[in-house]
Amino acid sequence: MSSAPTTPPTEKPPESAKAFPILKERTRFFGLTLDETIRAFFGGNAITAVVVLALITFFLFKEGSAFFGLNRESVTLYRKAGLEYVDYMRAQQESHTALTRYLFDIRLRAVSELTGKDGLSVAEANARLTAFDDFAGRYSDTIEPIRGMVSELTDVAVSIKDKYTINEDAKTERAQFLAAGMTAEADAVRIIEIDFKAELAPLVGVTPVYIETANGVATAITEVLASPPALPVPALDYRLTRFKELNRQFLATFPETRRLVETWDFQKPVPVLDTVTGFLFGRQWLTASFWQDWYGILPLFIGSLMVSIIALTLAVPLGVGAAIYINQFASLREQRVIKPAIEFISAIPSVVLGFFGIAVLGSVLRAWSQQALTLPEFLQGIPLVSWVLGLPLHALNAIAPHIPGFPFSERLNSLTAGCLLALIAVPTIFTLAEDALNNVPRSFKEASFALGASRMQTIMRIIVPASLSGIVSAVLLGLGRVIGETMVVLLCAGNRISIPDFSEGLSVFVQPVHTMTGIIAQEMGEVVRGSIHYRALFMVGLVLFFLALLINFFAQKIVRKYRISIG
Amino acid sequence: MVTDISSSKTTPHMETPAAPATFKVNVPSSSTKLPATTGTLIDIDNLDFYYGAKQALFDVNLKLDDKRVTAFIGPSGCGKSTLLRCLNRMNDLIDGTEVKRGSIKIRGVDIYGKNVDAIELRKRVGMVFQKSNPFPKSIYENIAYGLRIQGQNNKVRLDEIVEKSLRGAALWEEVKDRLHESGLGLSGGQQQRLCIARTIAVSPEVILMDEPCSALDPIATAKVEELIHELKKEFTIIIVTHSMQQAARCSDKTAFFYMGKLIEYDDTRTIFMNPSNPQTEAYVSGRFG
Ligand SMILES: Nc1ncnc2c1ncn2[C@@H]1O[C@H](COP(=O)(O)OP(=O)(O)O)[C@@H](O)[C@H]1O
Ligand SMILES: [Mg+2]
Repeated sequence: MSSAPTTPPTEKPPESAKAFPILKERTRFFGLTLDETIRAFFGGNAITAVVVLALITFFLFKEGSAFFGLNRESVTLYRKAGLEYVDYMRAQQESHTALTRYLFDIRLRAVSELTGKDGLSVAEANARLTAFDDFAGRYSDTIEPIRGMVSELTDVAVSIKDKYTINEDAKTERAQFLAAGMTAEADAVRIIEIDFKAELAPLVGVTPVYIETANGVATAITEVLASPPALPVPALDYRLTRFKELNRQFLATFPETRRLVETWDFQKPVPVLDTVTGFLFGRQWLTASFWQDWYGILPLFIGSLMVSIIALTLAVPLGVGAAIYINQFASLREQRVIKPAIEFISAIPSVVLGFFGIAVLGSVLRAWSQQALTLPEFLQGIPLVSWVLGLPLHALNAIAPHIPGFPFSERLNSLTAGCLLALIAVPTIFTLAEDALNNVPRSFKEASFALGASRMQTIMRIIVPASLSGIVSAVLLGLGRVIGETMVVLLCAGNRISIPDFSEGLSVFVQPVHTMTGIIAQEMGEVVRGSIHYRALFMVGLVLFFLALLINFFAQKIVRKYRISIG
Repeated sequence: MVTDISSSKTTPHMETPAAPATFKVNVPSSSTKLPATTGTLIDIDNLDFYYGAKQALFDVNLKLDDKRVTAFIGPSGCGKSTLLRCLNRMNDLIDGTEVKRGSIKIRGVDIYGKNVDAIELRKRVGMVFQKSNPFPKSIYENIAYGLRIQGQNNKVRLDEIVEKSLRGAALWEEVKDRLHESGLGLSGGQQQRLCIARTIAVSPEVILMDEPCSALDPIATAKVEELIHELKKEFTIIIVTHSMQQAARCSDKTAFFYMGKLIEYDDTRTIFMNPSNPQTEAYVSGRFG
């Protein structure tokens, strides 16, 4: 061993290699060692995840992006075929209908007041309201001339649109024949180019008549309003005043409608941007309509937002509160029971929760809302309470009818869905918030106690602030969970596609809504692949996708900041 | 240069820093400059302490002097920290701990007695930990915390106490321009002095220190030790330390523990120069531990 090697042979290992055995033959799979294989496996998984994410993004974009082109065509046809022109007038008619409904609402309230507080029978109540009914009838009739025009023009516009659609179909058919080399059949397909100008002539021709009619309607409304009836329920007078004010606003829109009708031009091109804003800020999601389809995401977006707000309002205090309790107060045994129980909630299939929502929760909530809500005896008759609730003293014994939205008109609404979504969000928020609290170094807690802080002070001033970013990101991920949830909202949100009425305060939260996830689940099965509706649903998916990315991005950003702040 | 500063600062109270040949540590030659002690402040009597079923302290009897520095020394796991944490009932935070026998009296009041509020106790018996643990708050808020939880929110008063405490902890000059920056941005030694400032801000009578310098470099250690000398004019200090030099330099009295028992307690000088127990002698001369 100590022999000095003069020229060490390169082929044969030197003898010393035996005495110092660190060389080892490795097993190889496909030329890789075990370590390298494991590495490749995990690396491969990571790459797969990234590739899948990229593919999903690409796919959503690819399927969705054609929407804008198709939508532009659709809106262009809407204009060319004169539907837009008719809709100007229709809008006027619909505003009037809404005002008529307002009158009906006043009547409903009057009847309930008369039969309720004044103790009259329904017949007596109706008798008292004859003057009012007469007024309502006359008011409702004032729009008849415009209604008549609209219904005639609707037929004209629809027939133009149909002609166009039939021709488009024929063109496609011919193109298919040609592509298949069937020239004879292709020639047989009849195509008549539509002369929009000529077709629209009867439509545009009525403009002068419309202007005259509109003026007549305006005068009639003013006349009717000049002689309002005396309401048998003075408490509702303010509503009648409000009605007049609304009419004043309505009449003020007449000149604008007139201008639109007069200057309407079927050839005006539709800007590309309009189709984007029309999607993002469109207030209507209307599909499979005989008239015109609209794909505005706003009602769905607001629906998703509303249920999420309700869910988080309930889930954040519950989840964070439970996390604080478990982390700081609970005994070991409590921890062993409560933690798995909360985490188990996330194992319940959401369709089961939805079923529960339909079968139980919705009914229970509505039944509860129908209860006469009374204040405890000792709070009645106190002026301060009356001032706080904004109710007259005598109404304090039955406050329920005075709360906007009570009783709920629908069993399934955003509250029902929100309550269940809260249940879904709680485990996420709880688990992550508990982690965040757990990550607060024990030494902070000790230092605080050593300074003479109580347990509550330590929690509120040291532990919660130190884990605040973790808690915030827990809430954000809870929000992500809630926005992405589909089954519960589809089953329990009521699925009414319209922007809830925000004018009546908190009652917006008990109106039925539809959501972005819900609409995809509901409509994707029925749409024609490649149609504008199909593409619109993909766009909704894309919006959801970006929302989720955004939420996760912020959650991660906050968590990163939080790590630094703990040091 | 650096060694110069450290050596002059580590032994500010000593006339002759030269060590006696037989001992590895420097021992103060006298303690005559100290103001007279007012006597015993803390009286520990026959104390048995348990972590669940495991007994950690066995029949400890100890009288700690007012306005003095007492050092607890002994090998790892001998119960120094446990005893220290008994003095402000920090052990209450650990499930299953119990004082099974004996008592601890501060100014004659049994701190494990029936009507004792541990929170009030901890306001009077402050604690500095082994690892500096400033809150993730500004320097200012770190110090104001103890006052704020007592309901003191008067800005002027807080400013005043923050400055006084920082001066008291010899940190004022270093941080006065960055009071509202995070306390976590300070160096290790500064953080530890911040923790001391935070403790004295609530004006306790006793300050417990559990190996306050074990994570610090020599220069930072020297500063803390110097600080201890200043602080003992106002506070009673009990310090756990692994460094015998530190015990010798800082303390007036030293208690040596072994396996949960108090072996010897005497003037620091005596413990290091002339211990009566052979175990103590073996430990301070570095033959085990
Ligand atoms: N939280 C605890 N639970 C159980 N036993 C503990 C705990 N803390 C310390 N001990 C035990 O008590 C004894 C004394 O510990 P400690 O006071 O920390 O020693 P020292 O500070 O002198 O190194 C050791 O045997 C240790 O294992
Ligand atoms: Mg210790």
